[in-house]
Amino acid sequence: MQRSSLLKAGLLVLIVTVLSITGWEIYLRTHSVGVSYDDGGSLWSDKRAQVYEPADKATVFIGSSRNKYDLDIATWQALTGDHAIQLAIEGASPLPILDDLANDKNFKGKLVVDVTEGLFFSTAGDNLSEPNTRIDYYKKLTPAQRFSLGVDRVLESQLVFLDKSNFSLNAMLDKLLIPNRPGVFTPRIFPMEFGRVTFERQDFMTKRFVADTNLQNEVKSIWYFYSQLPSDPPASGSKLDSIINSVKTDVDKIKTRGGQVLFVRTPSSGTYLQAEIKGFPRAQYWERLLSTTNCPGIHFADYPAIDHFQCPEFSHLKPADAIVFTKNLVEILQKEKGWSFPHQTANN
Amino acid sequence: MVFNSYTFIVFFIIILILHNLPLPWKTKKINLLLGSYVFYAAWNPPFILLLWLSTLVDFFVGRALYTQENKHKKKLLLVLSLIGNLGMLCFFKYGGFILENFVHLVNILGMDYHPAKPNIILPAGISFYTFTTLCYTIDMYKRKSKPVKSILDFSLFVTFFPHLVAGPIVRPPQLVPQFETPRKANQQQMMQGLLLVTLGLFMKVVLADSMLSASATTVFHATQSLSTLDAWMGVFAFSGQIFFDFAGYSTCAVGVALCLGFVLPHNFLYPYAAIGFSDFWRRWHITLSAWLRDYLYIPLGGNRKGKIRTYINIMITMLLGGLWHGANWTFVVWGALHGAYLWGEKIIQGYSKITPVPIASVPSGEIGVLGVIPKEFKAKTLRNFMLAMVTFFFINVTWVFFRSPDFTSAWRLLTSMFSHVPKGAVLLSTLSIIKITVIIIALVIFHWMMRNTRVLIVAEKMPWWLLGLVWSVMLLMLILSQESSSSFIYFQF
Repeated sequence: MQRSSLLKAGLLVLIVTVLSITGWEIYLRTHSVGVSYDDGGSLWSDKRAQVYEPADKATVFIGSSRNKYDLDIATWQALTGDHAIQLAIEGASPLPILDDLANDKNFKGKLVVDVTEGLFFSTAGDNLSEPNTRIDYYKKLTPAQRFSLGVDRVLESQLVFLDKSNFSLNAMLDKLLIPNRPGVFTPRIFPMEFGRVTFERQDFMTKRFVADTNLQNEVKSIWYFYSQLPSDPPASGSKLDSIINSVKTDVDKIKTRGGQVLFVRTPSSGTYLQAEIKGFPRAQYWERLLSTTNCPGIHFADYPAIDHFQCPEFSHLKPADAIVFTKNLVEILQKEKGWSFPHQTANN
Repeated sequence: MVFNSYTFIVFFIIILILHNLPLPWKTKKINLLLGSYVFYAAWNPPFILLLWLSTLVDFFVGRALYTQENKHKKKLLLVLSLIGNLGMLCFFKYGGFILENFVHLVNILGMDYHPAKPNIILPAGISFYTFTTLCYTIDMYKRKSKPVKSILDFSLFVTFFPHLVAGPIVRPPQLVPQFETPRKANQQQMMQGLLLVTLGLFMKVVLADSMLSASATTVFHATQSLSTLDAWMGVFAFSGQIFFDFAGYSTCAVGVALCLGFVLPHNFLYPYAAIGFSDFWRRWHITLSAWLRDYLYIPLGGNRKGKIRTYINIMITMLLGGLWHGANWTFVVWGALHGAYLWGEKIIQGYSKITPVPIASVPSGEIGVLGVIPKEFKAKTLRNFMLAMVTFFFINVTWVFFRSPDFTSAWRLLTSMFSHVPKGAVLLSTLSIIKITVIIIALVIFHWMMRNTRVLIVAEKMPWWLLGLVWSVMLLMLILSQESSSSFIYFQF
């Protein structure tokens, strides 16, 4: 090929690529799509690496998706002057992460553990695999991956189409919803408006989701679908003993080093809450967890200021309620649980 | 760092700028060497010490081997070099495997011995750079080529980042002379290099990672028997994944080097269009098969010591080739299967009238472990296509052992593939099956059409606008796939 031909081909590539990507980005923006970060192993590892900040300057949060939706990080940081490090993972048990932090001798900070009973009191492999994958990723994190995250952050903060969960090739193909053969498990796809992610790993619903009951019902039907899948009954007997004892062992390790651990039962509502109350009676699970571990706890149902939320899809708070919840959480922590935030300023 | 990462893009831009500045050639070489160390250290900085140790030892031992006249001292030096290189490889790669098998053996003999499991981290690319340095010292011992004069050129030969962690495995005469005179890519080389980098990343990121890897993982990690369709689809998915992953890396490596003005040997030549298994090894991981041929098969006696020894040598070569890929008996069985295939092919050839053609007429100029390709197999006839498909079928069977974590899983999968399993699990979605079917059919057709040529030759013949459009589609799919920077499969080897 002549030099000029290769160059011409290269220039055509440049033009086609720039025009296509720009067009795609403009199209998404005109449809009111905002930035959302890829909440994969890299971003989680970035937060995991921050847990060594001094205990008087940071609080680590672990749990499942409720912690990610319900804790408004900007509100928390504004009120406390404390850095909120979000390590919760959607649809997963926090116990592997609790264990990882307990066995990390350098972690001596404050820890808030979200208790979503169906995930917390479970030893099902599906609930443990993702946290273990993230921990493994963090432990093997290379300097190159850390640098890539820095570049990624800059790009993802500017480009809407860099949303892997919704606009990657595979995500778009999945949305074709091609019927499967009988017997093939078909995971449900959440509407994009339900879960947007900030760089701080806070999840939030879009305004459209909060206003659109069709979208909310779509998510409710997904919860129903998963609730109908065959699963083990709630842990009881020796299985429950084993879970609670392992939590106690981990909590004791953290406390021995001077760390603080507190459990939080974040709000849920509607039929979801009813099923949780029925499946996991408070005395047998929540109260026993607190008494065995000898840790303080905050159950949303005990506080009038946060016991009334109606979650749009039964399980997570909308952004406005997350702010109210966080404000009250800080107040309860300070006034009732004796937590102090030395870097709190008058403006807080 | 991996080629499919933002870190590499930034790194490569810096290297390209430095390489094109009006600096003395020696300074540019130092830049490339330092860049290569940064490239390697970006994984696990302490392992750079191993690389330095290997480089220093082999540079000085290589020189001494070449100049030493005393045969005994010469042999001693060679043994020292082999112990150094292979010892390091054995410790890091096979330490756990050897201990595990030793424990198993002594337990069978009745001894109650249960040592703690060693926690050895495998340095990236150790198998590749060990083979690179080994061939240098062996060449010096045999005085096949002259010792590299400067430690800078030798260090750069060992460490040059495009080939460092996953090949192609280069020989000193292929690369060292290129460091002796100033090099910079001209416009054509730069564009060709960028085309190859795009193609390589497209193969790795879009086809291997985005389209095939999840299906392969689902099937190979299944703990129950599968339906025949799922089993075959999983094996096809891995067949495509391993090719696109490794050939994608090699294509990137060749492209990256070309952008800097250096030429690396090609590592793949459309292996799924191979007719027979010696042809497959001419086309799959060419630089490894050539290495095994020159430094193992031929020194063992090759085909010069009678038929029986030839068969034994083939099997030893393939068994060790299998073990090179990983410290697990499944890899050994994978090698044994290839050895058995080559035996079968040799037996059939003995009864047929097929005559091999001279090496020079092989289009790639390279040959595999077992030599040349019969002339009849060069034509693109229906008969040859059917033979290629038969070869492809048998190659797929070998991948079962390559990918399965253990023999139980491998046997379960083979059973699912070749017999009707009542109530075999159905795991793969319709979309996954469509992806695998489309990609594998396209892959086989593409390999068949390209089997006697090369991608840059075809690109040269295309109209510029068509090349530009095809290139654009690859780049756009690469950007849209948004796959995170996952490692290449061959890094673990």
